[in-house]
Amino acid sequence: MSLRLSGAGLQHGNGVHALRGVDLHIAAGERVAIIGPSGAGKSSLLGIMASALRPTSGDLQLLEEDPWRLSSRARQRLRSRIGLIHQAPPLPPRQRVVTAVLAGRLGQWGLGRSMVNLLHPLDIPGARAVLAQLDLADRLFAQCQQLSGGQLQRVGIARALYQDPSLLLADEPVSAMDPVLADHTLRVLCRHAESRGVTLVASLHAVELALAHFPRIIGVRAGQIAFDRPAGEVDPELLDALYANEQLVSPPLPTASMELQIPRC
Amino acid sequence: MRRTVNLLLLLATLVAVVASFVYLGLDLLFLGQADNLRQMGAYAARFLQPDLSQTQLLAVGRGALETLAMSALGTLLAALLGLALALPAAGRFGWPARALVRLVLNALRAIPELVWAALMVLAAGLGPNAGTLALALHTAGVLGRLFAEALENTPTAPAEAIRLQGGGQITAFFYGTLPNLWPQLLAYTLYRWENNIRMASVLGFVGAGGLGQMLYISLSLFQEAQASTVIIAMLLLVLAVDALSGWSRQQWVRGA
Repeated sequence: MSLRLSGAGLQHGNGVHALRGVDLHIAAGERVAIIGPSGAGKSSLLGIMASALRPTSGDLQLLEEDPWRLSSRARQRLRSRIGLIHQAPPLPPRQRVVTAVLAGRLGQWGLGRSMVNLLHPLDIPGARAVLAQLDLADRLFAQCQQLSGGQLQRVGIARALYQDPSLLLADEPVSAMDPVLADHTLRVLCRHAESRGVTLVASLHAVELALAHFPRIIGVRAGQIAFDRPAGEVDPELLDALYANEQLVSPPLPTASMELQIPRC
Repeated sequence: MRRTVNLLLLLATLVAVVASFVYLGLDLLFLGQADNLRQMGAYAARFLQPDLSQTQLLAVGRGALETLAMSALGTLLAALLGLALALPAAGRFGWPARALVRLVLNALRAIPELVWAALMVLAAGLGPNAGTLALALHTAGVLGRLFAEALENTPTAPAEAIRLQGGGQITAFFYGTLPNLWPQLLAYTLYRWENNIRMASVLGFVGAGGLGQMLYISLSLFQEAQASTVIIAMLLLVLAVDALSGWSRQQWVRGA
C-alpha cells in the first residue's frame, strides 16, 4: 500500500471545503491519473498526498506512515521519499539548471554535501542523464530565467526524477508543453515509474493524455471523487457528467482542452 | 483695516531683522567695505595653490588608503552583522526575537555615524579603529533593516519546494531563498559602501582617522594649501568610488 486516504477532507481558513470525505487506496507501483474541471480540488488532493497540506478531517497514510503524527525530523525523512512535480516549478530565476536538478537529492544529502554542491555541482553526469531523457541536456548550464515555460516544467520533472522517490506526484506536469512534447514527457514519466516500481499519481487536464498513458483514472468534481475506474471503462457519458458546467451555455469539450497554458514563472 | 495689519506685520519683520543683527553683533557696514572683495579673493587664492610636495602627497595617499580601508572593512562587517540580524528581524525565529532585533536595529540606525564615531573614539581610542567600528555599527542597523525587508519580499515557494522534498531549513534557505536574494543584498551593500566612503572622510573630524583627520588638523593650523590637497583627494576618491560602484553594479547585479 503506497497511499491511503479514508474520509479525508480539507477545509480552508475561509470555510470553503476544498475536499470532502475522500476515500482512496493506491497500491505500490500503480499509475493513476486525476482528471476533473478547474477548481474541482485536484491540486488540493495532490497537496495532501505530498504532505504539503494537512487534511482537516479523516485519515492519511503515505508509504505506511501518517506524516502529521511524525516528528518534524521523521516527516522530512518521509518527504525525501515523495517527489512532487509542480505545475509552475518554483525555481529561482538565477539558479543554473544543473543546480536546480541536483537539488532533488537535498533531502538525502547531508548539510556539508549540499553546501559544496551549491558552489560546485557534484553529480554533473547524473543531472545530464535525467535531462537527456527530456531532451534538455544542452541547457545544463543555462539559468532558469533563460528557459521557456515548457522547458522549466521539464527541469522540474528532471529534479523529481533525480530525487528518485518511491511516490511520484505530478500536478499538471505538461500543461505548458505542445502535444508532441507532452506525450513524450508523460511516456518518460511512466517508463521511469514502471522500471523502478514507483507509484505515479498525476493530475491532468488533457483527458486524452490521461486515457492514453494511465491504466487507472480518478475523476474529481466539487471536492469529491466522481468515479474511479480503469481507463478502458471511462466512457464519454462519464466525462460529460464530470465536466458538465451549468454556468456555461455550451459545455466545453474536454478532449479539446489541450491548449497551451504558460504558467507564470 | 486689513492693510494696516499687513503694514504692521511688515514693520515688525523689519524690526526683527535689525534686532537680530544687533543681537548677533554683525556689523552691517563692515559687510559693505571695499576691501572685502580683495580679502575674499586672497582667501580663495590660498586654496587654489594646493601643496603638491612629495611628503604631502604621500601623506594624503596614506590618508586616502586609510579612508578606503575603513569604509570597506566597516561595510563588510556591517553586511555580515546585518545579515545575521536580518534573519530574526524578518520573523524567521518567531515574533519575540523579531521584536527584539527590530528594536536593536532601530537603535543602531537612530544614532548617526558621527555620534558613533565620537563614542568609539572614547571606547577604542583615536584612529581608524574607532572609525571602522562606528561605520560598522550604524551601517549594520541600516543594512539589517533593508536585508530584512528584502527577505520578507522574496518569494517563499522555492524554499518551500525544497522543504517538501525533505531538505533541511538551512539547505532550503541556500537553495531556495538566497539565489533570489543575493543580487539585492549586494546592491544594497555596494550602495552603503559608497555612502560610507564619503562618511569615512568626515569621521576624522572627531578623531576617527582617515582623510578627515588630516583635513581637520590642516584647517586648525590655517594651512590652506595642505587642506586644499586633502579636499582634492576627497573629491577624486568620491568620483572613483562612483565609477567603481556603477561598474560593479553593472557587472554583478544587473548583468548576472
